[in-house]
Amino acid sequence: MAQPAQEKTTFENRACCPIVNETSAILTWAVARFPHAVRAALFLILAVAVGAAYNAAHPLGLPWLPSPGNRVGIPRAFETRLPQIDAVQAMSLYEAGDALFVDSRDAADYAEDHIPGAVNVPMRKWAELWPQAASQLPRDRTLVLYCYGAHCGLSTRQGKALLEEGYEDLVVLDYGWSTWTQHGQPTVRHPEGYPADEGSA
Amino acid sequence: MGSRRFGTPKAIPPTREAPEMRAIWRLATHPIFLRVAGILVGATFVYASLDKIARPDRFADIVHDYDMVPLIFINAFALIMPWTEITTGAALIAGVWRRGAGLLATAMTVAFLIAIAQAEIRGLEIECGCFTVSGMSTSEATWDLFIRDIPLLLGAMLVWRKG
Repeated sequence: MAQPAQEKTTFENRACCPIVNETSAILTWAVARFPHAVRAALFLILAVAVGAAYNAAHPLGLPWLPSPGNRVGIPRAFETRLPQIDAVQAMSLYEAGDALFVDSRDAADYAEDHIPGAVNVPMRKWAELWPQAASQLPRDRTLVLYCYGAHCGLSTRQGKALLEEGYEDLVVLDYGWSTWTQHGQPTVRHPEGYPADEGSA
Repeated sequence: MGSRRFGTPKAIPPTREAPEMRAIWRLATHPIFLRVAGILVGATFVYASLDKIARPDRFADIVHDYDMVPLIFINAFALIMPWTEITTGAALIAGVWRRGAGLLATAMTVAFLIAIAQAEIRGLEIECGCFTVSGMSTSEATWDLFIRDIPLLLGAMLVWRKG
């Protein structure tokens, strides 16, 4: 008996054992039934593969999972260079007086209330403020970055930007302003508000 | 398998009562029009991906701002999505498996529309992150962007359905 000419190419023709049979049956069905969705999935797999390879080589590549402290968007190279401190450690830095506190909140919030001696560099206006802010942020002192509170990425972003500018001695106050006030630590309060530009970058 | 179909029928037949719609449909499904639409959509996707690929960390910050992706997936999402954009865009430009690429482009555009709409409804004042992640962009996620994305969606859907 002559073999019939090869029929439609299916994955099943190359079957060997139950698991492969099942898998190839599903693949054959999927390709026949949803040809474009299967191709879309292949594009996605290609994107993951190329993206992973690129990320491994990129100097500012990201870890695949959040960094310690549940922070996202921190390049692997910066992970250990932006340590988080708590309110107690921040207080001892404050009392020692060597560190400069940097408030990354908006100018209006800074004007209302802030940590004494803190410099305001609103992160939401970083691109326009940085040229002036550069002179206010010394490179030889520890900079303690703080913002609003939990899940506030402003200080982390500011830390990244400062690391790129060559700053080295940076710490981020975890939970920022909210933890500072909860610990009843000193603030400069201006209930009536005062010119937002005073002390602000 | 059964004869159950997913999705829309192959073509929405233009009604006899509207010959001008029939003419538009004939133009829109003309091979040359489809090819040009694919190239335009593809170029948009490739262009949009470049800045995100250059700075995945900044793109992750923007994804974080949209407050839609669970925290543990944000970094992974920020690493994969720009590469999905560039792969899809390159395929649409080159015309390789363009119906599959059109499907992926449609899915991504729908995701962008949902992201922009939820940001706007919740009143999040965030950077768009559409074409640039530099932080210098003044373009916020607003309804203007939503409207701007509609032609992109139509083009992507057309390539997906009629390729």
